Amino acid sequence: MIDLKSVSLIYQDHGKEVFACKEIDLGVQPGEFLGILGPSGSGKSSLLYVMSGLKVPTKGSVEWLNRDLGKMGDQERADIRLREFGFVFQYPFLIGYLTALENVLLAFPAEDRRADAEKFLIELGLQDQMHRYPYQMSGGQKQRVCVARALLGSPKVVFADEPTAALDHKSGRAVMDLLIQNRGQGALVVVTHDPVMLEGADRIIRMEDGEIKN
Amino acid sequence: MEGANKVKSKLGATVYLRRNLGKTMPLIGVIILAVMLIAGIVSLINSIPLSIKTIYSYSRNYVAVTPRGNALLTPLLRKSIEQGSPVEIDRLMVIRGTDIEVKSIVGNWPFVVLGLEQSDMDYYLMRMKAKVLNGRKPAVGEPEVMISEKLARNLNLKLGSVIQKPTDSDNYSPQEVKVVGIADSEFWFAFGSVEYQRENHFPPIDALLVFAKNPTDQKKLDDWTTATLKGENARVFTYQELENQADTMFNILYQILNVVIGTLVVVITLMMGMLMNIFLSQRVQEFGLLQALGYTKRSLIMRVFWETTVFVVGGWVLGVLVAWGLLNIVKVTLMDPRSFALDTFDQWAYLYSLPVPIAIFAVSILTVFAKFKNFDPVGVVERRLV
Ligand SMILES: Nc1ncnc2c1ncn2[C@@H]1O[C@H](COP(=O)(O)OP(=O)(O)OP(=O)(O)O)[C@@H](O)[C@H]1O
Ligand SMILES: [Mg+2]
Repeated sequence: MIDLKSVSLIYQDHGKEVFACKEIDLGVQPGEFLGILGPSGSGKSSLLYVMSGLKVPTKGSVEWLNRDLGKMGDQERADIRLREFGFVFQYPFLIGYLTALENVLLAFPAEDRRADAEKFLIELGLQDQMHRYPYQMSGGQKQRVCVARALLGSPKVVFADEPTAALDHKSGRAVMDLLIQNRGQGALVVVTHDPVMLEGADRIIRMEDGEIKN
Repeated sequence: MEGANKVKSKLGATVYLRRNLGKTMPLIGVIILAVMLIAGIVSLINSIPLSIKTIYSYSRNYVAVTPRGNALLTPLLRKSIEQGSPVEIDRLMVIRGTDIEVKSIVGNWPFVVLGLEQSDMDYYLMRMKAKVLNGRKPAVGEPEVMISEKLARNLNLKLGSVIQKPTDSDNYSPQEVKVVGIADSEFWFAFGSVEYQRENHFPPIDALLVFAKNPTDQKKLDDWTTATLKGENARVFTYQELENQADTMFNILYQILNVVIGTLVVVITLMMGMLMNIFLSQRVQEFGLLQALGYTKRSLIMRVFWETTVFVVGGWVLGVLVAWGLLNIVKVTLMDPRSFALDTFDQWAYLYSLPVPIAIFAVSILTVFAKFKNFDPVGVVERRLV
């Protein structure tokens, strides 16, 4: 579904080239749970951003359903992110002046998904938080709202970058389980440095210095 | 369908504004104050030439001609006007005039008390569109005047009040001249008996008032008289001339006003621009997150565009309403009692305040463009930017 062909992401650091990703070949299959493990600075996040079209690779190509993301316009790439992908980031980013429910609805602005959004929030144990603002919620609750936002609209791939890093072990585990159970037919790509969070993964790849070491 | 609209309106133009009143209200307040200030200053300054034009608007109804220094000129002037006039003359009055002073918001201005023949008084009142009359017309040779209601209010005069007296050098007459009649009229005027003025006032020279038959011909008559008597020993007073004088007089004042308001707009815009910049920077997280989720830069810029539109248009409209309200209060409590002119619907005053919202709008949009130009949402979601 997603195909990375010899992908490199290079940053310029004071004239020196830093390879955040180095000639990576990787595919993501429909519905699979792919885990990406590696130490800090190994290029996990960079790989995730390249896969999801948030960054354009310096070399190589990323194909979504056999179409090169790098050759699309900003508008089209943004559209794919909005409709086909879901995102959970390390920090529970929510818009402060919108309620939990409204924040979830942001993920799919084109249609009325209110019933779906409410269903997800209830499944994630947030029925009482639905109409609260982010400042009235705990970090774990906020991250669960982010999970609901990522799942709204049944995305084909959910990307999660260290979704549990800002949470204690128990809430982290809960968030992972919710992601795994509620993703429906969607694939799940999770980046983490904590192998425990990848329990139940179909496939795990390890990164070091921008390269896959398996 | 109600649900769908609700979803769409999640990021409607007013959501941010309404839910962040602590931030938006002070900014709207500044726009309101600025608009109010500018509209207020401009209307008050405009009220001065407006006063000149209202006070002397009686001269729209006739052209006045006064010979210079020689009483024998009057019949000659009369003859040349009667013979040469390009329009039909309805009446030509031989009159006298003496000076009094009226009050304005910028001090006293000269005004004339006409001396009229008894036979001309009714015609004069008719041309001044005088309606209800209180009291009576001045009697032949008596120290009496009839004045218009607006003048009465300005000088706080009632029936029986003294308008000119021997001890008042600004409103001088050898005898005490009393108000015996007050006429309702849109014009300001005062007239007494021409016999009294011939007896008591200097110089001993009669002047002329010439009324066109058809009021719409008056301007033609005015222009012809001005052109014909140019270089003669006569002064011609027309409304046109008065208007031109008022306009040149205020030319420099308006130029100063333009500089002051221009500076004000620049200062307010800079200040607001900086505030908008701060507020937009606080929202970088929001914009980065939305972009990461798949919103386009274009859609985010459009959002800020609509938010800013609602915000500046709303601020301007409120500012205009507040200014209008305050000007009405000023008019009713301070201006009307002395019949000072003030136009609370002065369109120039409101137009002058337009640069404020426009400049603020432009600065906000430019700020957003600059911020989005090289914006990388990954910086936000990675928390490298806040
Ligand atoms: N904007 C940038 N400019 C320069 N170098 C960068 C930039 N972003 C990332 N890097 C470098 O790229 C490499 C990979 O970074 P990345 O964020 O992908 O690591 P990571 O595996 O996600 O680490 P962590 O577990 O700490 O999040 C690092 O060496 C980092 O310093
Ligand atoms: Mg990372």
